[in-house]
Amino acid sequence: MWLEDIPVNVSGADEFLTGNAAAVLREIASLLEQLAQTGEGGCIDLASLPFTSADRTWLRDKLGKGEVEVSISAGGPSTIVETGTPGVWWITHRNEQNAKSGEFIEVTLVPELVATHPADVLSGLESLNKKIMN
Amino acid sequence: MHDKEGMFIQRLASQGISRRAFLKYCATLASLMALPPTAGKAFAEALAKGSRPSVIWLSFQECTGCTESLTRSHAPTLENLIFDTISLDYHHTLQAAAGEAAEQARLDAMKKNWGKYLVIVDGSVPTKDGGMYSCIAGISNYDMLMETAKGAAAIVSIGTCAAFGGIPHANPNPTGAVAVSDIIKDKPIVNVSGCPPIPVVITGVLAQYLALGTLPELDNLGRPKAFFGETIHDRCYRRPFYDQGKFAKTFDDEGARNGWCLYELGCKGPVTYNACATTKWNEGTSFPIESGHGCLGCSEPNFWDAGSFYRPLSTPSRPIKIAELGLAAGAVVGVAIAIANRSKKAGAKAAHQIATVADLEKKP
Amino acid sequence: MNDLAFLTWVRGPGLGLAITIFLLGLIWRLIEVFSLGRKKDLSVPRHTPGASGWHTIYRRSIPFHGALSHNPATSVSYIGGYIFHIGFFVILLFFAPHIELFAYVFGLSWPALPSRLVDFVTVITIIAMVVVLVDRITKTVKRFLSTFGDYFAWTITFLPILTGWMAVQHLFLPYTRMLAVHILCVEIFLVFFPFTKLLHGAATFGARWYNGNLNGRKGVPV
Repeated sequence: MWLEDIPVNVSGADEFLTGNAAAVLREIASLLEQLAQTGEGGCIDLASLPFTSADRTWLRDKLGKGEVEVSISAGGPSTIVETGTPGVWWITHRNEQNAKSGEFIEVTLVPELVATHPADVLSGLESLNKKIMN
Repeated sequence: MHDKEGMFIQRLASQGISRRAFLKYCATLASLMALPPTAGKAFAEALAKGSRPSVIWLSFQECTGCTESLTRSHAPTLENLIFDTISLDYHHTLQAAAGEAAEQARLDAMKKNWGKYLVIVDGSVPTKDGGMYSCIAGISNYDMLMETAKGAAAIVSIGTCAAFGGIPHANPNPTGAVAVSDIIKDKPIVNVSGCPPIPVVITGVLAQYLALGTLPELDNLGRPKAFFGETIHDRCYRRPFYDQGKFAKTFDDEGARNGWCLYELGCKGPVTYNACATTKWNEGTSFPIESGHGCLGCSEPNFWDAGSFYRPLSTPSRPIKIAELGLAAGAVVGVAIAIANRSKKAGAKAAHQIATVADLEKKP
Repeated sequence: MNDLAFLTWVRGPGLGLAITIFLLGLIWRLIEVFSLGRKKDLSVPRHTPGASGWHTIYRRSIPFHGALSHNPATSVSYIGGYIFHIGFFVILLFFAPHIELFAYVFGLSWPALPSRLVDFVTVITIIAMVVVLVDRITKTVKRFLSTFGDYFAWTITFLPILTGWMAVQHLFLPYTRMLAVHILCVEIFLVFFPFTKLLHGAATFGARWYNGNLNGRKGVPV
């Protein structure tokens, strides 16, 4: 049985804008400017401030939809979606039970979690070499 | 890769936890602890490089619910990862050793890591009658705590019993139970309250200590502000219904089915500081209010004696006892003053004399 | 004492104590006032339409003609007074947690107003109270007419409203402590109610009826 199966209907709880989405949008703009000038972006934790689903929808609408969508399966599914604003990525982490565990906006050229770690390249090479030898 | 970090990542990989999963966990942990997003990365690096500090876990007057909360949270678990990075040298429930060997392990760990080990306490400490109500290996909880705390770098009180006395401390408190902070005054103490506490709050505090060597910022009750900074009510998804004045009146009426606010059913969310509404329970499934029951206020001191769980916060915490004697006294005073006034009036009337024009014209 | 224990005390023993003193004082004062009695009026009562105790209660509860516009010096007292009294009762009677208390004590309940609306009314009420206080202090005549009792009554009425609002807004103190302070202020209000000028809350309508009745017998509608 899932929570959705329990006949509890929560309506209207999340229908208003808190005004925080607009503040986040301005912060994204300044991070983008920083990214363009110095090559260094930044990250905003959406859980760190009160956000209603109306805020979320509003922010999604403003940022738009981009071309790249990455899904990661590591300790539960995660999605990294490029927004319609190039350089702005919407990251959603979920745990093994598929419950949302974190939500971030990353302003960067390539999201950190996507890139392969050099150390993993070496250990990958090691195991590949073993396979070639056999 | 044969450095510490590489070995750590390899050890994780052997448990089926990838580097990305680890980074993701650190990012969400930092987010939960209200640290800036960059802290997640610092967390990951420090955890990977970290040494294994000794931890001594003391269980006193408790129900083991706190240990259950932590160890049963996930399987296989990322929370366990924190356990991998510490050296848990003593824990009644989890250790393999028994009897004298167990006590020896505690003493050895203390000696070896004097001044550096972390003490975790769950359960309250009985102080009445020489502390005889709870003993381990013939040592009273009080004595064991005093002895073990001496060489500790810091103490983490896990659960409301250790943090505030909890249920053993509730009226009439037959064992004279007190909180750790009531008897230890010279060590940094972090109170992770809750009955039981949220697992990720326990691991968050440990992670910060392990990774950054610091304790989190605390509120006036010694609880980490990141998790206890806001009330359940302020972060509750049913809050808008409170603001609109929509309340469930019983547990099975239309309002309850519509998921309206549980204030009138006795929810203590407005005066309870905890992170249930944001971190939730059972791997983020839900929290009590989401299941249709009001908050009991379990992370607050004296929650057990704060009136009925099922009466609204704005109603009396116990039936109003109006002292009838007081009311009778009021009536008596009123009547006494009335009689005094009447006699004054009667006196004035008696002294009254009729004056004629002639009297007034009379020259003195 | 921690915040929750403080709150539990003001919700329990403190409340019982305050209500006891309130009722004790009220019984005492009302017996004292009503037992004064009046001399028997031997004159023949006259009958003039509109001259009665009930009529006076009504007439003196609404502003008399020109009260709000005639004299700027008094209109501050009138307008401010009306806003504050109406606001006070809206907050007291229509804030959901307050209704819960009435339901518990009297077994009666009624629908609440949205808390944002009550919040708005509270701000207006606080402003009105501050305005009438400033007016009382700055106007020479009003200042001379004012005694300690006036300022005391103002203070113990103002504090419950201010602390309640601050508790809801999470200002200054943690909510739990502020809520406890709010309830404590209400208890102080209850304790002093019978012994200060606040007794007008129980005496006003009786006094108006009496005046109206007395004048009604003389054929004068007031």
